[in-house]
Amino acid sequence: MLYPEIVIVGCGNPLFADDGLGPAVIEELNRLQLPDNIKAVDGGLGAPHFIFTLIDQAVTKKIVIIDIVDFGAEPGSLTKLAVEDLPPGSYRDAHSWDLTEPLQRLKDSVEITIYGVQPKRVTAPDMEIGLSEEVQKAIPKVVQHVLTEIGVDYGATIVS
Amino acid sequence: MSKVVEISPTTRHEGHSKLVLKVNDEGIVERGDWLSITPVRGVEKLAVGKTMHQVPKIASRVCGICPIAHTLAATEAMEASIGCEVPEDAMLLRYILQCANRLHSHALHNILSLPDMYLPGTDTKINPFSPEEPVRSVALRIQRLREIGQTIGEIVGGEAVHPSNPRVGGMYKNISPLAKQKVYDLAKEGRKLAHEQSEFMIAVFRNFQKRDWAEVAGRQVPIPKDLGYHNQGYMAAAPIYGSSSLDEHPTWFPERWTEVRPWDWYMGEEEITLEDKDYPVGGTTPAGEKAWPQMQACTGVPLYDGQPVEVGPRARLVTFKNYDEKGAIGLQIARQMEYEATCYGMIEAVDALDCSGKVIADEIPQGDGTLGWAANEAPRGCDVHLAKVKDGKVRWFSMLVPTTWNFPTCSRALAGAPWELAEVIVRAYDPCVSCATHMLVVDEDKRIVAQKLLE
Repeated sequence: MLYPEIVIVGCGNPLFADDGLGPAVIEELNRLQLPDNIKAVDGGLGAPHFIFTLIDQAVTKKIVIIDIVDFGAEPGSLTKLAVEDLPPGSYRDAHSWDLTEPLQRLKDSVEITIYGVQPKRVTAPDMEIGLSEEVQKAIPKVVQHVLTEIGVDYGATIVS
Repeated sequence: MSKVVEISPTTRHEGHSKLVLKVNDEGIVERGDWLSITPVRGVEKLAVGKTMHQVPKIASRVCGICPIAHTLAATEAMEASIGCEVPEDAMLLRYILQCANRLHSHALHNILSLPDMYLPGTDTKINPFSPEEPVRSVALRIQRLREIGQTIGEIVGGEAVHPSNPRVGGMYKNISPLAKQKVYDLAKEGRKLAHEQSEFMIAVFRNFQKRDWAEVAGRQVPIPKDLGYHNQGYMAAAPIYGSSSLDEHPTWFPERWTEVRPWDWYMGEEEITLEDKDYPVGGTTPAGEKAWPQMQACTGVPLYDGQPVEVGPRARLVTFKNYDEKGAIGLQIARQMEYEATCYGMIEAVDALDCSGKVIADEIPQGDGTLGWAANEAPRGCDVHLAKVKDGKVRWFSMLVPTTWNFPTCSRALAGAPWELAEVIVRAYDPCVSCATHMLVVDEDKRIVAQKLLE
C-alpha cells in the first residue's frame, strides 16, 4: 500500500523561489513524529501523476494539499480551499492532465483540503532558490493549520 | 500549392510543444516541425558554484516526470568528473531504481497512447477510464504496475517523487532484508502483470497497423503503412542502465555530439492557411495567424555524428537487441517489449544485493575540473549530463535530455503522414518537454477566495 489513511502533499518547485513553499512545509512536518496513519509527501512537480492518480480510495480518507495560490492577497497570507474552488484548467500538470481532474475523481470518497499561500515572487521560467521572507514566515502557521486539520495535537498546535 | 497548419499546444504528453506542418492538397505532410515552446530555464547557470552534492538534487527538480533519471545522471556525472568509484551494492540499488522508474513510466504512457487506438475487431476507440470490460481490467493492471514501480522507487529511492537516497559516492542507506524481500515480491508480481500488459498493448498496436483508417475530427483519415518512418539513425548507451566516462569501454562519445541553433534548423515565418475547427481539442490555430518555428523553438538541436538521432526504447532495442521495426507503431511496440525486462532487472539486482554491504565509497575525491559525463537510459531515451567539478564545487554543468534529441528526429518522421495523424507520431515518442512551471491561479479577477482568507 503506497499511501495511508491521511496523505499530506506539498506541491511546488523549489527552483522557482516561492513555488518551493509546499516542499518546505513537508520538510518541517517530517521533523515531527507523525502517527503511522499519516504520510507527508514532497510532491515536487509530480503530484498529479505520481500521487493523486495512485491514491487507493478504499484506504485513503483524507488528503491535505499545500501549495502557493495566487488569490490577490498580501504575500504570505493563507487560504483554505476545496476542490470546488479550483476552476477546471486552472493548473495543468506536466502530462497535460488537469490537476483538478484526478482530484474531482477522488473528492466524493476522500476529503480533500487545500491550503494555499499567496506567493510574493515566482521566478519561472528563471531559476532562483529560496523563499521570500513573507512566505518563509508563513511556514509555521501552515504547519499549525495542517496539524489541526489532521487532528494531531502536541500542545504546540493551538490555533488562536 | 502547399498549406500550413498549426496544432498548438499538442496534448496527451508531458510539457508544452506545438506542431507546424506544411501539407499538400491531399493533406499529407511535406515538411513538419515539432518544437518545444517551454521557456528555457537555465539550470546550467544555476548549478555553477553549487556543491557537487546539491546539483543532482537541483537537476531532479527540473522535471516532475523522470526525477529518478535526472538524479542518477547528475549524480554519476559528478562521480565521473571527480573519479569516484561507487560500491557494487550502491550500483545495484540504483539499477533497481532505474527499472522501477521505467516500469512506472511505460505504464503511464499506455494511458496516454490508448485513446488513439481501437479495440481490436471494432471501430471503437479505447477510453482508458471506461468502466466497461475489457478496458476496465487493463486500466486496473496499469494502475497496479504503476503502483509497483512507485512503491519500489520509494523503498529504494527514499521518497515518492524526487529520490533522496542517491548521493555522490553511492547511496545514503542500504535497504533492510525485509525491504529487500518486499521489493522481490513486488517485482515478481509485476513480472507477470508486465507480461500480460505488453501482450495486450502489442495486440492493440498491431491492430492499428492493420487498419485502413482512423477517425479524427469526424473524418476517416487513411493510415499510411509507413506512418512515422525516418532515416535518422539511433543513439543508446545501454539496454537498461547507462554508461559514464569512468567506464572502461564507454558507449557514448562526447566528441560525436555537436549542436546547432533552432534558427538554422526549423522553418522560417509562415502564415497559417489551413484551419480545422473540429480537430481535438478545440481546433487548430485559426488561419491568418503567423507561426515562426525558428524563432519560437526553445531547445537547441543536438546532433550525433552530424545528424539528429532517435533515442528511447527503439534506439535501445535496435542498438542492443537487433530490433528493426520502423515507424510510430514500431516505436510503441519496442516500448512494450521493454516492460518485462524492467521486472527481471529488479529481480536479478535485488537477488544480488547484499543488505549489509557498504553503499558509500570510502573516499570521495573533490575533483580537479576534469570533464565527466554520464549517459542514463531514462524511459524516454538517453539522458546525458556533463559536469566539471573542482574542489567540491560544480564549475560547469550541462544536461542533454532525451526529448531534445527526439524533436528534430520526430520532425522528419512526420513527412508523408496525413496531418491529422501527426500527434499520433509525436505521442509514440512519449515526449518529455521538461516543464517545471507550476502555480495555481484561482480566479482571474481574484474574487472568490478573498473571503476565505485564513490568516
